[in-house]
Order: sequence, then structure tokens, then C-alpha cells
Amino acid sequence: MGKQKRIAIYGKGGIGKSSTASNVAAACADEGYKVMIIGCDPKSDSSITLLGGRRIPTILDLLRLGVEVTEEDIVFHGYGDVRCVEVGGPEPGIGCAGRGIIVAIKTLKDICKEMDDMDLIIYDVPGDIVCGGFVAPIKKGLVNDAYVLTSGEYMPLYAANNICKGLSKIDTRLSGVICNSRSVTREEEIVRRFAEDIGSKLVAFIPKEQIVQDCERDGFSVIEKAPGSDIAQVYRDLAQAIMSNSDSATPTSLDDERLRELTR
Amino acid sequence: MAAKDISIIHPRPSSIVAALYTLRDLNVDVAILHGPPGCSFKHARLLEEDGIHVVTTALDESGFVFGGRRELSSVLKKVSEMFHPKLIGVVGTCASMIIGEELSEPVMDAGLDIPVIEVEVHAGYANNTKGVLLTLESALDVGVIDKEEFERQKVLLEEATEVEKRHGAASKEYLAPSRGDLKYKVAQRIIELLREGKKGLVIMNAKKETGYMFADISVAIHEIASRMGMSANVVNMANLDVSLGLPRVREHAHNIMHDLKEKGVLIHEITGGLDEYPIAGNVVGDLIAKKYKDHDFAVITGVPHAIPMDHISHMEIIAVTNGPRQVLPLKEMGHKHVVVEIDLHPKTLGVKHIVESELGATMREIAKEMLEGPR
Repeated sequence: MGKQKRIAIYGKGGIGKSSTASNVAAACADEGYKVMIIGCDPKSDSSITLLGGRRIPTILDLLRLGVEVTEEDIVFHGYGDVRCVEVGGPEPGIGCAGRGIIVAIKTLKDICKEMDDMDLIIYDVPGDIVCGGFVAPIKKGLVNDAYVLTSGEYMPLYAANNICKGLSKIDTRLSGVICNSRSVTREEEIVRRFAEDIGSKLVAFIPKEQIVQDCERDGFSVIEKAPGSDIAQVYRDLAQAIMSNSDSATPTSLDDERLRELTR
Repeated sequence: MAAKDISIIHPRPSSIVAALYTLRDLNVDVAILHGPPGCSFKHARLLEEDGIHVVTTALDESGFVFGGRRELSSVLKKVSEMFHPKLIGVVGTCASMIIGEELSEPVMDAGLDIPVIEVEVHAGYANNTKGVLLTLESALDVGVIDKEEFERQKVLLEEATEVEKRHGAASKEYLAPSRGDLKYKVAQRIIELLREGKKGLVIMNAKKETGYMFADISVAIHEIASRMGMSANVVNMANLDVSLGLPRVREHAHNIMHDLKEKGVLIHEITGGLDEYPIAGNVVGDLIAKKYKDHDFAVITGVPHAIPMDHISHMEIIAVTNGPRQVLPLKEMGHKHVVVEIDLHPKTLGVKHIVESELGATMREIAKEMLEGPR
């Protein structure tokens, strides 16, 4: 199983991690890869656009009921046979979502045999790594490639930079930076320079397209709903880049001054 | 203060347990631990022996992730039906506090018509007296104690913390547990001193219910000295003021005083209440300076390290403690003999009379042989 790709996409909340993850998953499935997507956000919406807008029971929902959880209960087949899993978690402000991720991931690992057969497993992790639980997929050795998603705006870059700081602290290599455009001036150049400065590379520039939102609103990825669109091709290229990428490096975070300079 | 604190690596009593014991002293009928089923198990069991009900919300993995509001309110209702309590305490644990549980919400959900003392405490405080303080603050809020008693307790707690830092379990980064000196040898030495007609002080400076056993040493020495006709050489001091402390603590003082009187033991000096061991040591020091400087030896039981060495350093000191980690600090203070009454505390829970100590029993046995002959 040396060839299996197990990636996590990090980035500021709301920057488009779930959209990117589900479109990449769908594009890889179209290419014939066996793909699984594991949503680690308590909001449980990572896989929703692969399932035609349907919500699925989460691992933690079932554990809470005290029933014996089986693979069939938590793994759902979405577009292109992408396996969809949602960790789930408590309502905001109650309990401990971080502990939830740890418990759910362990349960999944214990009962899901299919995981071993996958070509690509995508962990869609929450934007803010607020505690140890949120890096459990990495810490427990479940992730071998990490990507950072950002726009060219200051705040998402600031978050991306912080994530790099965190990754290097836990000794995790970064496989690349993905730019999800918010139509900022010189955006591609800014993010490319950021990527290079931290010792990584820009693997894709995803332009801002209304059609992504429109498809999502209906509960679909663009790969499924608008396969002929330009943006669908961008996701296909990104999927291709991820599957063939073998470079990674421990990122070096930038100081705040350098970061401001980049976005000026 | 925090910067100067040393990093202590031996295990010490936890603030959660301190909160439980304080609730007991406040005479709650039920204490509910809000957390994992095994948290503070050993002490919970001991407190059941002492007559209060201790239960747990038994949070599991699911509880850690989703919180235990429902679990706590349902346990509150359940114990109210099972035990018909007049006063309940709810105690936090590390797990429930880390995940941000609020105790007041489930207490409101349960809607009981009796006062509930909520103690949001975990075991991560350097000084376990924090657990006592948090409990008393909450007890003050619901009107179980008054401001005056609260302020009095606060002073005692601060002093107790200082006593432990100076010469107690918080005085060194690591203290190995020790069983102390052989009881047989020490018992023999005490009897020898009495027989030689030496003047002795027997000072009990005990913490609350532990007095039930430490008082036995005062009793044993009195019995032996009387049989030798030497009782005039012995002065007894004890922190057994029956008018001080929380109701349960006063009751202990009353019970012990009653037994002492019955056994003919005269306490010459009352040095404070049973919860005043951190400050009663200074009272003892002053008394000795004024009246008893010429004594040859001192048997100090309970919390011997709370008694300043200033006026006793010339005496031969025999310390009796129930803390295996207290042996080394006491020796370093200059106490010549240190005896540990192992497992004293469990034997003093749920009792109303003085219980026999190992040192007391040993002294009695040796004296018997000596005075009546071995055969």
C-alpha cells in the first residue's frame, strides 16, 4: 500500500476546503481511482455535495447511541463510488469536538477494512487547529500528504502561515499550496511567492467561479453537475497534480512583517 | 508566587478529593462526582464509610465528546428520589472541566427544592486546598455557611498551604515514602523517658477526624505514666476546642474530649479547634515558651511539622504522623524519632470514639511486660 495517498487539506475556515476536497475526490473517481473522503468537521458537511445534498449519519452520532457500529453504518457511497464518511461531533459550545475526532478516527480505523484498498483518502479537517484532537489524523500517522489552501488575502495567508508553523512543530511535511481565488489583485503571484518563501510550491490556482456555488447549492460538485465547465477542468488538473505529486518539504513559516509585505 | 513554586513530582492529594471531604464536613447527604466512573474512587469509598452517599455521573467517551448535561441532571433527580437528601454537593473532575461543563445548568434542569453546592474543580491545582476553598465559596453562595466562618476557614487554608510548603509534603520536589522508625524502639524509648522521671509534653495537633487515632497516643502515655506514678510529669495539649469549626468537626472534638475525660486524661492546654492544626502549632510554641521550656521530651502527634522548633529544639522529640512522605522533612527539622501510623485515615472514618493506634498498642504491650513481668 505504499502508493496510497492519504492527504489532509488545511486552511482558514470558509476558504473552500470542502469544495476543493469534494471536487478533487470526484475528479479522481472519474479517473478510476478508489477514493474516500473523511469529513472531520463537527458540521458534517464535507461530503454533502458528493451525495446529492444528502446528510449521512456520523460516526459520533452512532457511538452516542451506544450501538455497535459497522462499516456499512458509516461508509456511504457517493458520486463515482467515492466513499463518504463523516466524523460528526457535538453542537458548538458543548462537549469536546477534538476528543470526538480522536475517538471517531480510531473507530473508523478499527472497523473500516475498505480503507486499505483506497488509492486516495482525503481528510477534510476544520480550519482552526484549536487543540490536539484536530491534528489527530496527522499525529496518528493517518495522513502522509498535507496541503494548505489559501487565497491571496491577508487573513487566509496569515492562517496558512500559522498552519505551516504548526505543521513544522509536529514534524509534518507540506506537499503544496493551493490557491482558491477570491479575485484579489496579483493573487496568483502573491500565493506563489508565499508558497516559495515557506519552501513549498503552488500546485493549483482555482479561479473564483459562480458555478461552483450554484452546483453546491443544489447539492453537487462541479465535476458531477457541470463537467464541461472550465473550472471542472481546473479541479481535474489539481487531482492529477495531487496523484502524481511526490515532493514535500517541512515548511518554514514567515514572520509577520514578511507576510504583510507579500500582500501589499 | 507561581514562578517560585517548585515542581513537585511525587503524587499528592487532589483538589477534587479535598472538595469531597469539605462537602462531608458541611454535612451534605450526597456528593455527585461529575466525570468518569473511576475518578477519586478510593476516597469516594472511604467517604461512604463515613456516612455520606457518593455517586458518579460516569461519563464515558460519548460524554466527553457531547458533554454530560443530561447525565448530571438525571443523576441529581435519581439521588433525590433514592436518598431524600437535604443537601447535595456536585463536584467537577478533570474530564468534565476540560470540556467546559457548566454545573449550574443541569442543577437548574433537575429543579430540586433543596440547596445544591456546585464545585467546579479539577485536580490540576498545585495546592489541594484550592478544592476546599472552591467548595466553601460555593457553600457561602447557597447560604450553607456564613461569611465569618468562610473568612476563618480561608485563613486556615492559607496557613495549611504554607505549613506544607515549609516542612510538609510540598517542601521538596521529590519525597520518598517511608515507614519511619520502628514503633517497638520508639515505644520503648518513651517508656524509658517516663521511667527516668523525665518531664514530657504530649501534644496532639491533629487534622479533623484523624484526632480519633492520634488521641490514643495521649491516652496510652497517660495510662502508662499513671501506673508508674509519673503522671505529674506529663503535660497534655490538644487542638480539641469544641466550639470551633464546621458542625461535623466540632462533633469530632466533642467525641474525643468525652472519651479522654472518661479515660481520666486531663488536657492541660486546649490549643485550638480540630481544623486549626495549621495555626495551633504557634499556640503550642507560645505556651511552651511561657510555661514549659524546662521539659525534657515532647511527643507530637498529628501534624508535627506545624509546630515551630524555636522552643523545643533542646528537647528529645518523638513525632507521630500518618504521612509516609513526612518522615524525611520531620527528621530534617530535628525530630529525633518519627513514627508513621500507616493507614490511619481510613480507620478514623465513620467512628465516634477514639481508635487504637499501633504506637499506643505497642507502648501498652511493652509497659505491661515491664510492669507485670514477662511471664
